[in-house]
Amino acid sequence: MSLERKDEHDHKGWMESRELSPLESIYLTTLIWLDKRLRVVDYLEILEDLYYKVNMQMPKSHTEQYNLDNKFWYWYPLYALGSFSTIAYIVAAISGALLGFYYAPAAAAADGSPTVAYDSVMLIMGQLNLGYFLRSVHRWAAQVMVAAVFLHMLRVYFTGAYKEPRELNWLIGIILISLTLVFGYTGYLLPWSQLSFWAGQIGVEMSLSIPLIGEWVAQLMFGGFTLSQATLQRMYILHVFFLPFITTALIAVHIGIVWMQGIAEPH
Amino acid sequence: MTEDQSGVPTTEAEATEDAGRSREVVVPLRVYKTVTVFSTLIAVFSVVGGFILVDVATNRASAPASEIDVPVAIAGIGLILLGTVVYAFSTRFRTEEMGKSKDDADELSDNG
Repeated sequence: MSLERKDEHDHKGWMESRELSPLESIYLTTLIWLDKRLRVVDYLEILEDLYYKVNMQMPKSHTEQYNLDNKFWYWYPLYALGSFSTIAYIVAAISGALLGFYYAPAAAAADGSPTVAYDSVMLIMGQLNLGYFLRSVHRWAAQVMVAAVFLHMLRVYFTGAYKEPRELNWLIGIILISLTLVFGYTGYLLPWSQLSFWAGQIGVEMSLSIPLIGEWVAQLMFGGFTLSQATLQRMYILHVFFLPFITTALIAVHIGIVWMQGIAEPH
Repeated sequence: MTEDQSGVPTTEAEATEDAGRSREVVVPLRVYKTVTVFSTLIAVFSVVGGFILVDVATNRASAPASEIDVPVAIAGIGLILLGTVVYAFSTRFRTEEMGKSKDDADELSDNG
């Protein structure tokens, strides 16, 4: 006796009962032959089943419980911006780690000839297989992350999701958006191009304009009042060592708190 | 084959081929999934592979006309066309209940 479930459908003979043209018969037979061997559809069905079973474990959301979905569904994309930022961050991290194999943060030539850093970026863009693609992915991930994080903040603000008991996570979010911007700024300086250099100069002067502690901040962040190897080195270490650790840890805490408290839903 | 009340034999597969309407073939759901998944996979790989071949044949569209590898370029274009045809062909298959409700009714909406 077979444990296989029985149903009415004639699994073997159904194709004869159809009026199929020869081409359609061949087409279907070929695809079914492939499917029996590769079993892609079976695995996709397992995934689908898994998705529904996991979903059954989730508590009913506020909108489901009170049947608000028909009024509220058009806001739902905005609730994806946090995940979107995280995905952009992961993409930037992976592409950045790969770029790190080819980039060198050296501003060695001070005599007007191109620096090592700039040359390494040119190498990535011009010589390296898929280098142009890799750096483009990294840049776009950064742009998307800044935009998504900002829109995520607007969504949280305008749906009142920052209110009690979620004030702490709002504050962590403020820190995270600042870190994102610092990530962007330090990365902007790394190619050590004209744009990078003068953006760095602006940074130094903005630091110096801070009352009382301006000179100290400029020394700490830029390694002096004029741009030098120290500046580039600091930007590099901030970009690939300090910020990744701090930001990753804070994102983990940020998401962990959302996990514990649940998503703030509209009322 | 089943028979409806008027005694006219109809096939379970309503393979309609009315003028102006594209042919539809009703298949079991499981087969429909197979068609969707594999035709999409074949189409994607064919089209991407075709573009790669065209790129190779024309040195990324930078080769002068005299240095284009014609057989490879034609093979590439052919592969792109093949992917397109496979994908387009797959659109005629559907399951029960997937048609427009007026077409899925027992009677055809041809005013008798």
